[in-house]
Amino acid sequence: MTALLRYQAALLLRSQRWLPPFILYVAFLGIGVQGGQPVLDSLGYTAAALLPVAAWLVRICTTNEPPAARSCVAAAVGPARAHLACLLVALTTAAVLGTAATLVVTLISDPASADHRTRVPLPAAAAAGLLATLACALLGTAVGALTNWPLLRSPGRAVPAMLLAALLSVVVTGSPAQAAVSGLVTGSRSGTVPVPLLPLAGAALVTAAATAVTCALTSRRSP
Amino acid sequence: MRSDLRLNNVGRRYGIHGPWILRGVDLELAPGTLTRVDGPNGTGKSTLLRVLARIDAPTEGKITGRPRTAYVPERFPQALPFTAEAYLTHLGTVHGLSRAAAPRAAAGWLARFGADAYARTPMTRLSKGSSQKVAVAQALLAEPELLVLDEAWTGLDEGARAELERAVAERTAAGGAVVFVDHDPRRLAGAPDATYTVTDGTLNLRTDKPTSPSGPQVSLDVQGPPGGQLPAEASQFLTSSTEPTPGTYRLTVPASYSDVLLRALLTARPPWHVVSLSLRTDPTLDPLDDESPR
Repeated sequence: MTALLRYQAALLLRSQRWLPPFILYVAFLGIGVQGGQPVLDSLGYTAAALLPVAAWLVRICTTNEPPAARSCVAAAVGPARAHLACLLVALTTAAVLGTAATLVVTLISDPASADHRTRVPLPAAAAAGLLATLACALLGTAVGALTNWPLLRSPGRAVPAMLLAALLSVVVTGSPAQAAVSGLVTGSRSGTVPVPLLPLAGAALVTAAATAVTCALTSRRSP
Repeated sequence: MRSDLRLNNVGRRYGIHGPWILRGVDLELAPGTLTRVDGPNGTGKSTLLRVLARIDAPTEGKITGRPRTAYVPERFPQALPFTAEAYLTHLGTVHGLSRAAAPRAAAGWLARFGADAYARTPMTRLSKGSSQKVAVAQALLAEPELLVLDEAWTGLDEGARAELERAVAERTAAGGAVVFVDHDPRRLAGAPDATYTVTDGTLNLRTDKPTSPSGPQVSLDVQGPPGGQLPAEASQFLTSSTEPTPGTYRLTVPASYSDVLLRALLTARPPWHVVSLSLRTDPTLDPLDDESPR
């Protein structure tokens, strides 16, 4: 599995297809986050923006390898494991990107509530931001897994479905990502730092289920 | 412990209401056997090989056994962001080699197929034939227990085609199972243990196997120890063997198996002595001895 992860990571890195979502994320943050803004608001925005980026990274990882090359790897390790490696590499990349963004945003933001009256402890805010970011990375991975090969193959269906699902996962009540982000935003109003463990657990559960379904389908769908 | 791959009444179709591509396939691939699959285009040969390599799961029926498998697709993509060497090193470790052994195996196989000059060339700049060499090398790197070749010879130059035949001979001699599809009837002629034809999604064993093998043969005159028995690895691949005088044998093998036979004879304890060796390209001109090899 380590060799497989190393191969998939090298494939992603060397293909340079990670660059567009990376730039998009930086642009998102450049527009939405400015120094001196309330820390929890900015962290909520940072986490929410990561969800479509994670989904896009999954799309890159699952489409990066030409089908014939994927078959060679699938014969060696089994198609389910080959696909699992794709998803894990995408998730890890999104998590690393989100962690870096969260740390930067925490450092440049104002450690205060939305009305700048109550002080917000920075380490606790950073921890809450990291948990929310991870929840969004997980849910974005689930969205990407469910809207790309092996479930949807043609880009004409996969891309709109992925964008719509990513948008809905951020805004619809009941989604773990929405719960994590709104937890940060409402926490910012009162100046209390939330601990979004429940949304994280929910996101992990959804992602595990999506991963299991898509990995099981890899050997049943046409390449 | 090697495991046989066994297909039991296997069927495969894409989609819930798609047409059956394969139906009612029973097949067993034992270690050390060479299996050929024939059939016209679009009859399900590639699907069968994908099921055998366990890339595709059967829609119905059962498949048992999980040998370490390597697969060569009929067309290998150039769109990979690696050099040939880097790709093969990655695939070597994916196939289970250590990080130290993978680059050595990669260099060795590239050299065997005459592609060592392209080791540091990006895959995107390789010709079709060169990238097919990479695909073949990828499969042979880690000495798989099951080698699945889907028209792997297509696009290879003459030297590489012969080398791949010898590599297949080595693999079966070492106890691996090999299954291949190829449209050239002379491919490994006389060597397969079984030939199947896929027609309309069903698999039929070809029983009209010609009694005298076609394709180039190598015949060897060898002397063995008095009362000696041919090594088992050697006798496995013979198309014929006669004993003109006691202790002297004339052995015939498909040309791609000559190295395997020589290695078996020369490394036997006590070793055999090779007196002469000759290549016969057209066996019909030189009727083979009728003594059955197996």
